Amino acid sequence: MHLFLEQLLNGVAIGSIYALVTLGLALVYGILRILHVAHAAVYTVGAYLGLLFFKMSGSLLVGCAGAIAGCAVLGVAIERLIYFPLLKYPPYVPLIASIAILLALEEVCRLVAGPYILTFPAQLRFPALHVLGVDVPSSVTGILCITAAILAFLWFLTTRTETGLAMRAVSQDLAIADAMGINSHAVISFTFAVGSAIAAVAGVLVGIYYNQVYSTMGSVPAYKTLAIIVVGGLGSVPGAVAASLLLGIAETLLIGYAHIPLPRDALAFLAMIAVLMWRSEGLFGSR
Amino acid sequence: MKRFALWTLALSLVLFPLGAAQAADTVKIGLLAPLTGFAAADGASVLNSVKLAVEKVNKEGGILGKQVELVAYDDRADGKEAVGLAQKLIQRDRVVGVVGGSYSTPSRAVAPLFQEEEIPFIAAYAVHPDITKAGDYCFRNGFLGMVEGRAAAHVAVHQLKAKKIALITSDNDFGRTLAAGFKEYLSKKAPGVELVYEQAYPFKEKDFKPYLAAIKEKDPDLIFASGYYFQTGPIVSQAREMGISATLFGEEGADSPKFLEIAGKAAEGFLIVTNLNRDDPRPEVQEFLKLYRERYQIEPDMVGASAYDAFMLLCDAIRRAGSTDGAAVRDALAATQNYNGLTGVVQGFTPAGEVVKDVQVQIVQDGAFHYYGVVKDPTIITP
Repeated sequence: MHLFLEQLLNGVAIGSIYALVTLGLALVYGILRILHVAHAAVYTVGAYLGLLFFKMSGSLLVGCAGAIAGCAVLGVAIERLIYFPLLKYPPYVPLIASIAILLALEEVCRLVAGPYILTFPAQLRFPALHVLGVDVPSSVTGILCITAAILAFLWFLTTRTETGLAMRAVSQDLAIADAMGINSHAVISFTFAVGSAIAAVAGVLVGIYYNQVYSTMGSVPAYKTLAIIVVGGLGSVPGAVAASLLLGIAETLLIGYAHIPLPRDALAFLAMIAVLMWRSEGLFGSR
Repeated sequence: MKRFALWTLALSLVLFPLGAAQAADTVKIGLLAPLTGFAAADGASVLNSVKLAVEKVNKEGGILGKQVELVAYDDRADGKEAVGLAQKLIQRDRVVGVVGGSYSTPSRAVAPLFQEEEIPFIAAYAVHPDITKAGDYCFRNGFLGMVEGRAAAHVAVHQLKAKKIALITSDNDFGRTLAAGFKEYLSKKAPGVELVYEQAYPFKEKDFKPYLAAIKEKDPDLIFASGYYFQTGPIVSQAREMGISATLFGEEGADSPKFLEIAGKAAEGFLIVTNLNRDDPRPEVQEFLKLYRERYQIEPDMVGASAYDAFMLLCDAIRRAGSTDGAAVRDALAATQNYNGLTGVVQGFTPAGEVVKDVQVQIVQDGAFHYYGVVKDPTIITP
C-alpha cells in the first residue's frame, strides 16, 4: 500500500509536468487549429532564460519572472511573424514551419549556451510532507502546488473574465467573433503569450527537478505532448490535463510493477492509437 | 574579373588544406571525438587531454625526429558521421594511427575501416566487444564491459560487504554488458549474495522515482547503477531525496565533473569503478591532473585520461617500431609491456587487443573523486 501510494504520487508529479508543457499546445490548437510543435522549443528557451536570470540575480523568483516574460514575447513573436501569415494555407504548412522553428531554436540554444548539460542549482522552498505514511519530497510538493496554482489561474481566466469569454468566442468561430467586435488577433496573441508563459514555468520547474538544462530537452516533449492532446481531445484544456495526469500515473505504475523494459514514451503513443481507433474525439473532445 | 577572382579564391580555399597537408613533414595521428551533441562534455575532455599529450611529445622532441600533428574530427558520437571522417583520415590526411576518443557506436563503425587500411586504431574508452574483433590492428585502452562488471561485483561483495544488491541498468550495449559481468561474478563467485531487483531503464529516462520506489521496498544494502553521468546523476540525487540509505555504486560512465554537479550534495559517498585514480602518487599522473586543472579550469576525468593514454601508447609504439609502417606499429603495440599510463600501469594487451590493467575504485568525498580501493586480481581484470 505504501509503495502504491508513493508510486501514485510520483505519477501525479510527472503528470503535472506533462500537463504544464501540454497546456500551451492545447490552448493554441483550440484557438488556431495549429499543431504548435515549436512549443517544446519555447519550453527549452524558458529553462535557459530562467537559469540565466537566476544566475544573474540569485533569486528564483526573478529567474522565473524573466523566463515568463521572455517566453511570452517569444510565443507572440512566433505567432505574429510565422503562424499568422501562414494561416491562409492548409494546416500542414504552419506545421512544417513549426517543426523548423523547433529545430532552429534548439540549435540557437546550443550555439549560445554551449553543448554541455547545465545544472540548475536552485531550491524550491516548499515543505517536505509526511502524509499517510508516505514521504513527499519538497520538490514534489513544489510541483504539485505550482501546477495547481496555474490550473486555478487558467480556470479563472477562461471562465470568469471577459478576456476568457473572448478567447472562447474566437476558438469557436474566428470570423464571427471578429464580426462581433472582438479584436481576434489580439486575443490570439494573448493566448500564445499565456501558453508560452506556462511553458516557461514548466521549463524552469523541470530544469530544477532534474537539475539539468540542455538544448535537446524539448525533443521528447515535442512529440509526446502531441500524443497527449490527441488523447485528451484536440484543443480541450481539461482533456489535456486529465490525459497528462493519467499518462504520468500509468507510466509510473507500469515501471513500478510490470518489469517491461518498454520505453515509457511508448505508452503515450499506444494510448494515442487506441484513442484514434475507438474514440477519435479523445477523452474530453466533442465531435 | 570579379567572378574570376571569386573562383580563384574558392579554388584556393578548397586546395589549400591539401597543399598544406602534403608539404608539412610531420607524424600525423588522427582523433575522432564527440565534440558536439549529447556527448560533447566527453568530447571536450578527450580533445583537451590529447592536446596536452601532443604538447608534451613535441616538447620532448617529437617522434622519429619529427613533430607530431594531431588531426581531430568531431563525430558527434554518431556512426554515420564517424565513417565519413574515418575515410577522410585515411585518404586525405594519411594518418599513421588513430585514437578512438568516442563512444561504442561510432568506434564499432570505424574499426573495420582502419583494419582494412592497416592503420593501428586504439579505442580509448569505448566498451563494446566488437571494436577489437575488427582485427589485429584494433586495440582498446578501456575496460571491456564484462571486466568492469565483474570487478564492480567483486568490489561490492568483498570491499563493500553487500548482502542484498539491486541492479538498475542503462538499456544499451554499455549498461547491458556491465550488468552481465556483474551477474556472472555473483552467480559464480558469490552465490550467497542476493540479487533483489533488476531492471533496465531507457536511454532518455530522467525520472527514476518509479524504479527507486520499487527498489526501496526491497531494502537492498547496495544499488549498482550503471549509465552515463546525466543518468546516474539524477539516480543518485533522487535516491537520496527519497530517503534511500543503501550504498550507491556506479561505474566509469559517472566519472565526470558533470556528475558531481548534477548530483550535488547527494553525490557524497557514491563509489565508482573506473580506470583513473586521482590520488595516484606517480608523478606522471599528478603532473597531468595539475596541468589540466590549470589550463582548462575544470576537473579532469577518465575519458580524457584514457584518450591521453591511447595517444601516448601509440607514440610509444611508433618509437619502439622505429617507423610509421602500420604492421610494425601494430607489432610494437601488441608487445607493449608495463607502460606507465595515467590510467594505471598497462601490463600489456591480450592477443585480442584488450588492455590488461588494474581496475580502480573511487569514492566521492568533499565534492571530488578520491581513492577507495583497487582490483588487482588477474582472474578478474584479464578479459
